[in-house]
Amino acid sequence: MSAAVHADLSDSNLTLAHGSGRGLGMGLIVAGALCALATAGAAFSGAGGISLKQWLAAYHVGAMSVLAMCLGSLFFIMAFHLTNAGWASAIRRQFENVASFLPFAFLLVLPTLVIEVMTHGKLFLWLSHDMAGDPLLEHKKVFFYLNQPIGGLPVFFIIRAVLYVLIWTYLSRRLCKLSRQQDESGDIALSAQARRTSAWGMLAFALSVAFASFDWLMSMDFKFFSTMWGVYYFSGAAFSAAGLVAIVLARLVGAGKLRGVVTSEHFHDLGKLMFTFTVFWAYIAFFQYFLIWYSNIPEETAFYVYRNNEPWKSMGVFLMLGHFVVPFLILLFRPVKKSPAALTFMGLWAIIVQVVDIYWVVRPMVHATEDHAPSLTPTLWLDVLAITAPLLVLAGYLFVRVSASCLVARRDPWMPEALSHRNYV
Amino acid sequence: MPRATGKVYVTEKGEAIHGILAEFATPAALYHAAEHVRDAGYSKWDTFTPFPIHGMEDAMGVKRTKLPVAVALMAFAGAGLAFLMQHWMAGVDYPLMHQGKPYSSWQAFVPITFELGVLFAAFTSLIGMLALNGLPRWHHPLFKKERFLASSDDRFFVCIEACDGKFDPDATRALLEKAGATSIELVEE
Repeated sequence: MSAAVHADLSDSNLTLAHGSGRGLGMGLIVAGALCALATAGAAFSGAGGISLKQWLAAYHVGAMSVLAMCLGSLFFIMAFHLTNAGWASAIRRQFENVASFLPFAFLLVLPTLVIEVMTHGKLFLWLSHDMAGDPLLEHKKVFFYLNQPIGGLPVFFIIRAVLYVLIWTYLSRRLCKLSRQQDESGDIALSAQARRTSAWGMLAFALSVAFASFDWLMSMDFKFFSTMWGVYYFSGAAFSAAGLVAIVLARLVGAGKLRGVVTSEHFHDLGKLMFTFTVFWAYIAFFQYFLIWYSNIPEETAFYVYRNNEPWKSMGVFLMLGHFVVPFLILLFRPVKKSPAALTFMGLWAIIVQVVDIYWVVRPMVHATEDHAPSLTPTLWLDVLAITAPLLVLAGYLFVRVSASCLVARRDPWMPEALSHRNYV
Repeated sequence: MPRATGKVYVTEKGEAIHGILAEFATPAALYHAAEHVRDAGYSKWDTFTPFPIHGMEDAMGVKRTKLPVAVALMAFAGAGLAFLMQHWMAGVDYPLMHQGKPYSSWQAFVPITFELGVLFAAFTSLIGMLALNGLPRWHHPLFKKERFLASSDDRFFVCIEACDGKFDPDATRALLEKAGATSIELVEE
């Protein structure tokens, strides 16, 4: 049966009152900015045993987590276009809203990078003059990866960053624009254009995300290398992006919007995507570790050997359980995937464990040059606040952005299929 | 042979009855007939169509299979078994140090643990599916019916089996007639 769905496609069901989230959104953005500035100020002053280095690491964790969610969303948009995913046209708009933050997400990452370059490497030790002459660093210079500064600036590092942000900005803006144009005109040629863009965009996305994660996460420990690193970052990115969009959609449905448009069937599929990417993350994270553990090459194992000490060790165990085992077991159950409330919880969970994952990668670098186990608790408040700051900005942006356009791609040619979408028994 | 229900119906020639076959002309007619049969409370019956009809499982009131539970349990059993096996082999029965790693390093066991979990799950899915749906089988009584061949061409059928507890030769026939069947006949075992 072509289940003739009589979904309510009126404006009252498909739009929020224009500017309704603006007040709260701007408030959150200001709160996030203040939070970042206040913690940065405290760190600069060095009060209470905190350091700029620690602030940089914590803030970088938050910014890279925000970037991850935006990149994950961009991936899903392109994957939906490439596969002509019918069901997804009911939820794609929210992925577009998150992905449209990409240029700003880069701006959030930018302060860390600028400070790193200007201070000659607080966390990114390869920028430091002290490391010049290190044989591994010399070797990596040859491939333009961790090149020594030309005229005081790591030129190729900067060129690469510009390249990434150009790719992401172009892709996210173009795909969002095509989708919104279609809201007006209903022209199916726009879908074909989005598909063509996604075809090369996916390739550009894969390469840029991989190299960005090399540059901005992996290079901190310049001796360490893993060709799987880009996929590792991406897998967590897709997991947290699906979680974030599940939260947004659950809130909209909870507010009485999208009745009959986004149903438990769509949440079910979103839950399946979360399930997929928690398993995918586990697969990538474990085998990255496993191969390094097996081959036992000192410059690779150092990364894990250091994190095999407290407090990083417990955090690693927490990640195994929290980033994989627990969500795996919970998301196995169909009622969980179909329930907006349960998926909201799992979405929050996904974002939190994704933050912990990046924290586990970045934060130890603060203590990389110390020879005793660090104690995190006394200055944990700085970590929490500095990590939260970029997340608040993203949340605020979404409050503003979601109400600014139709909540679904209402004239997408696949909408009829999305409206009658069913997961069969 | 019909399964034990207390009653075995036979034709005038004395052949045991498999069930009643009703033919419908369109998918919509079949869909509505299925709703009638479902609402009348039958459980041993099926529909036969040349192509999948979306929503049919709702019209038939088909419940979700129990198979996933069995698959999950067997997957965990397989994974646990694989882990214990490796631990016993590499750590207990014949402790072997390789590559300078400790005896019974859990890391090395993960791939096989995962694989055996998948293997057990896959076998349980396949064998469990066959056990639940009774396939493969040599023959089915419906294939004796010339008319039934059209179920792979352009006709739509319902067959209610005589082993259904609610089966009654007259009432069941009346139900299918009321549901709009274009022809109704008995199917012998």
